[in-house]
Amino acid sequence: MIRYLLRRTLLLVVSLFVASVLIFLLLRLLPGDVATTIGGLRATPAQLARIRANLGLDRPLIAQYGSWLGGVLHGDFGRSQLNGVSVSAELATKLQVTAPLVGGGIVVALLLAVPFGILAALRHRSSVGGGISAVAQLGIAVPTFWLGLVLALLFAVELRVLPAQGFPVSGWNSPGVALRSLILPWLALGLSEGAILLRFVRSSVLDVLSADYLRTARAKGRTRVGALLTHGLRNAALPVTSILGLQIAGLIVGAVVVEQVFALPGVGTMLLSDVGNRDLVKVQGEVLVISAAVLVISFAIDIAHRVIDPRLREAG
Amino acid sequence: MRRALTTLVPLLAAVTLVACGTGAPSGPATGASSLAATPPDAQLNLDATVNVRLTLEPTSLNPFSTAGAALDQLLLTNVYQNLLTVDVNKQDAVVPQLASSYDESPDGLTYTFHLVPNAHFHDGKALTSADVKWSLDQQTAPGSLGIYAANFASINSVAAPDPRTVVISLKHRDTWLLWNLTQREGIIYEQGTNFASLDSKDNGSGPFTIGAWNRGSSITINRFAGYWGAQPKVASVIFHYISDSNTANNAQQTGQTDVEATADPTLLQPFTNSSSFTVLSGSTSDKFTLAFNDAVAPFTNPAVRHAIRQAINNADVIKAYGGGIAIGSDVPPQDPWYEDLTSIDKYNPANARKLLASAGFPNGLSLTLTVPNIYTTAITDVLTSELKQAGITLTVNRVEFQTWLSQVFTNHQFQLSLVDHAEARDIGNYANAKYYFGYDNAQVQNWFAQAGTAASDTDRNALLKQVGKQIATDAASDWLFLAKTFTVVRQGVYGVPSIETTERFDASNLAVAK
Repeated sequence: MIRYLLRRTLLLVVSLFVASVLIFLLLRLLPGDVATTIGGLRATPAQLARIRANLGLDRPLIAQYGSWLGGVLHGDFGRSQLNGVSVSAELATKLQVTAPLVGGGIVVALLLAVPFGILAALRHRSSVGGGISAVAQLGIAVPTFWLGLVLALLFAVELRVLPAQGFPVSGWNSPGVALRSLILPWLALGLSEGAILLRFVRSSVLDVLSADYLRTARAKGRTRVGALLTHGLRNAALPVTSILGLQIAGLIVGAVVVEQVFALPGVGTMLLSDVGNRDLVKVQGEVLVISAAVLVISFAIDIAHRVIDPRLREAG
Repeated sequence: MRRALTTLVPLLAAVTLVACGTGAPSGPATGASSLAATPPDAQLNLDATVNVRLTLEPTSLNPFSTAGAALDQLLLTNVYQNLLTVDVNKQDAVVPQLASSYDESPDGLTYTFHLVPNAHFHDGKALTSADVKWSLDQQTAPGSLGIYAANFASINSVAAPDPRTVVISLKHRDTWLLWNLTQREGIIYEQGTNFASLDSKDNGSGPFTIGAWNRGSSITINRFAGYWGAQPKVASVIFHYISDSNTANNAQQTGQTDVEATADPTLLQPFTNSSSFTVLSGSTSDKFTLAFNDAVAPFTNPAVRHAIRQAINNADVIKAYGGGIAIGSDVPPQDPWYEDLTSIDKYNPANARKLLASAGFPNGLSLTLTVPNIYTTAITDVLTSELKQAGITLTVNRVEFQTWLSQVFTNHQFQLSLVDHAEARDIGNYANAKYYFGYDNAQVQNWFAQAGTAASDTDRNALLKQVGKQIATDAASDWLFLAKTFTVVRQGVYGVPSIETTERFDASNLAVAK
């Protein structure tokens, strides 16, 4: 296990270095630059050149990359070229919205997907199973944007029980208001993601239900549900945790649609705005931190697999 | 259950229409031109906070060296002030602000400004002529990073003979000077200001100070107790930056915002005929311009340009957008050189086909339109449909704004472009052959240059009127429409601006009833 951990940690470091190079170079392929955002449509070519020189954008790419990487190695992910805000500070602020948003969304998704996915598998030949599958299919087909609007219209505009949009200016210093402002986004995100996850849970449980070891357990006198709970769920959880890991990683940025519908100042909205403004030093810092988070989550999922599945531990 | 369904089903149908964008209005939206008069102070809550929805968040709070209409909208008048300002209620007349009055020498080369007494910066220091001189010197200094510093190229020197008098001497007459003093480049900063520090702490002389910037969400401005003029009647204003129109509507309907500026004209239904809200309609300088690349074929042939203009029915485009007026040139009615030129190239698809045939395209032609993806597809759908009837197959290339800037604006790699030219008084773009329009008319350039140094505003206006007419006659572009702006106001809120609010949202008259 220790050798495995060391090998995976080394792979993590190499992956991060490759990610930093790719992020830096790919962003340079985008048309336009931050100088035009700063200078605007009426700036003269001479003014734009001065802005670029002030920001160091006229230096060779390798020098720009070197400066950035040097900062990153010292824990400095850079600063906005538009307003001087530190990338780390900005990310920390935005994660105060996005992390609970994604976390709560995943909890809603799990609460929906696990029980109903198992039920759909256990009753897959009945109308209950068929009904759950059909609703899940509908849930996958419904755009998150539309679902968010429906929820806001129903619970905020019509029933007036929850806020329609926004996050308190005072943030988590007003925990009650902050929580209330996240309920509808959680539902919008959780229902969409839960519908996807439910299909995987159902499929995974169905596979397990037809496995030999479950038949053996039932032959020894266990009920179908009892055998599934004792022996089957652990195996069924393996593919589901993989999908869950991918969903969490994707949602850190992918929650942007929900952030837009509910006007939440999160990571996705910030990235969208920064890319649009070509604030590339900020974007590359943000994307690197997010990439690192994705790689760490993937690392954690691998470890979780080993804890769940003894066969992987034995394989070394 | 049945009751829940009866609520939910129509709601879902309504949301589907809204989300799919199929709820097209039967015609352009309308609104009131003004609110009821503000009641006396005794009936107002002078400690109120007003929540205002805006669309575009500033990228920085440094107005000296960062461009962007969102900075102007927030900062001009509210936080920073100029010698002069624009009165949008008087057809954009130039009126005093920090200068109570000014004199112009008979030769038009010297302007003397007399400052108001008791003006102070937000750090408490008195505003004097030395600050004015220093601010203008920062713009005119060689290599200045001031945005639009080039607009003060005519200034020879600025003097401060006494603490309340400023004298600007010009190299030559400049009929744009007073207007430019009302704009971003004319902001008066405290002597010695470090502009980079303005992002974290403002130091203007306006009625509000910046309270907090919750990036990606809102900016709060607070009443400045030391303001030299009339004190604002509200303690704070929170500007909420909500880009999605449906979300903004929800916020306004549920009372999270008191004022919804730049409301989507196609989504006003919840507010019209409601006793809880007033919908205000105001003019803008937003000219939705279909630009031809005049420097390349087939647009080098004027017949093609006229054909396109005649193939498009402006009324249909305005209906698709939701609100606006036809202008016929690059001049909105509030400009002193406005002339109704909508009779030039009126909608005539049959003649458009003839013009194309005469230009060598009897079987029509295919063109590509490059448009930033921030604009509604309803406009481009109308263009595609109407140009098709004239024999033009239009391919719409929707790109991100920075790509438009790079491809169209900087590198001139386009055939047709659609963008909102929101800058006021920007007719000079047609006198610049290097501008992305590619319009090169020596006569227009000459008239525009003469207008800049004309002996009087009357002479200038006459020359610019000729420019406006000539570019329309040449079909230099197609000015599809001048947008109207719609502002939804909750009952009990007064003093809400409604005209040209994307250029400056003057919060100084806001008031809330007790």
